[in-house]
Amino acid sequence: MSEDNQKNCRGNSPGEPTATRSSAPMWIIVATLALLFLGGVYFDHNSGWFNPRVYAPYHSVDQLEAYQPKSGAAAALAKGKGIYENVCGICHGADGMGKPGVAPPLAGSEWVMAKGYNRLAHIPLEGVNGAISVEGKDWTMAMAAMGAALPDDDLAAVLTYIRGSWGNKAGEVTGDEIKKLRADMGKNPAPATGDQLKAMPE
Amino acid sequence: MKTGIGVFVAAFAALGASWAGFVLAPSLQLGGTKVTTVLNSTDEYPVQRPGEAALGLQVYRANGCAACHTQQVQQDGTAFEVVLTGAGKDPVTVSNLAAGLKLTGLTKEAADAAAKTIADAGGKTETHLSGTGADISRGWGSRHSVAVDFLYDAPVQPGSLRAGPDLTNIGARAADANWQLVHLYAPKAIVKDSTMPSFAYLFEVRAATGSAEALKLPAGFAAPAGFEVVPTPAARHLAAYLLSLHADAPLYEAPYSQLAKP
Repeated sequence: MSEDNQKNCRGNSPGEPTATRSSAPMWIIVATLALLFLGGVYFDHNSGWFNPRVYAPYHSVDQLEAYQPKSGAAAALAKGKGIYENVCGICHGADGMGKPGVAPPLAGSEWVMAKGYNRLAHIPLEGVNGAISVEGKDWTMAMAAMGAALPDDDLAAVLTYIRGSWGNKAGEVTGDEIKKLRADMGKNPAPATGDQLKAMPE
Repeated sequence: MKTGIGVFVAAFAALGASWAGFVLAPSLQLGGTKVTTVLNSTDEYPVQRPGEAALGLQVYRANGCAACHTQQVQQDGTAFEVVLTGAGKDPVTVSNLAAGLKLTGLTKEAADAAAKTIADAGGKTETHLSGTGADISRGWGSRHSVAVDFLYDAPVQPGSLRAGPDLTNIGARAADANWQLVHLYAPKAIVKDSTMPSFAYLFEVRAATGSAEALKLPAGFAAPAGFEVVPTPAARHLAAYLLSLHADAPLYEAPYSQLAKP
C-alpha cells in the first residue's frame, strides 16, 4: 500500500465527506410516536388485554358480558333445568313424577299449578315437615330447605322450570320476586306443614 | 474478543424474547384452562373422550389426518335476531309493528332498539345471538373454537390446511359408525368426487362369516362374493374418535343462543 493511499484512508484529504453526528429529522420522531399511539389505541380496543376468555370477533370482556344470551324464558328454562336435575331431581325425579315414599310428584301437582308462586316458593325456602296432600294422596314429608342456599335468580329459574315443564303451564317467576319473598320471610324460617302452606295466599 | 460479552447478551436477549413470546406468554394466558360449564346450564364441558376414542386420537395422528383436515372453526362476526314471543293486550298493533321492523341480522344496538320498540307497544320478545362467517354458514359449527375445546387432547390436532372439510363437529354431522367406517374404507362410495385417499389398510377382507362388524358397503365397492370387509381395532378406534368430535356447546367465551328443548 502506497503512502498516498494510506493518507486517503485516514480521511485526511480535503474535500472528502466525513461522518458527523446529527439528530434525526423531527418528522420521523413525530410519525413514529403517532404510529405508536394509533397502535396503542387499536390494541386497547381489540385485544381484550390478553384476557384468555376473549376471542375474535369479540374484543373486550365488557362486550362479551353484554352479548351473553341470558334474556328470555328459553334461557331461564335451560338454566332452571340444569339446577333442577342437580338439586331437586334426585328425589322428585328428572321427569317430575316423584318417587314413592320419598317425594311427591311435581308434574300436575296443585301446589305447582297454583295461580301464584307464593306457596310453591315457600317449600324450597323453608322446607316441609309433616302431612301434606298432593294430587289427592297424603304424604308425610321431611324436606329440608333445599333452595335456601340458592341465589335468587337460580331459585327463580328452577321454579320457572318446574312451573313450565312436564305439561305444567303456570307463569314465570323472577329473581326480584324471590328476593322480595325472602325479605318478607326473615331469617331461618321454620319448616311448614301442608295446612300452614294452605293458609298462605296463593 | 472485545465484543464477546455484547454478542452473548444480544443473542440471549433475542432468544429470550422469542421464548417469552412463544412459550411464556401463551402459557400464562391459557395454561390455567380448566373444565367449564355450558352456558345457561350446569353441564360440564368438555367431557373426556371415551376409551376407544382416546386411542383413536393416536390413529388420527399416525395417519396424518391433520395434514388435510382442520379442527378449528372461525367466526367473523355476530348477528342478533329478535323473536316475538307474546303479542300483549293489543296483538294487531304489535304484530303490525313487528312486521314493519327489521328483526334478523341485527347488531346488538339495533336488536336492543327493536326489542324496546316492541316492549313499549306491550309485546314480549326474545333476543337470539348467533355467529356469522364462512365456516358457520358451511355448517361446520355454531361458534368459533376456543382453547378449552382441546383440553383433553394430547397432542392437539388443530391442523392448518383444508384439503378436506373441517372436522370440529364431524361426530354431530355424521353420527353413524357405519358411515364413518365406509368413508374411511372407500371415500368415493360416499362422496363421488372425494379426493381423500382410501384407508383400506385399516380394514381386513376375509371370508364371510356373517359378522355383525362387517361394513355395509354400497354396490360397486362391496367385497367379492363370499368375502366381507371388517374394521381392524385401529379403524374402530379412529371411527370412535371421529364420532366423539363435537365441540359446539355454547360457552361464556363463545356464546350463542341455543334454542331450548323443553
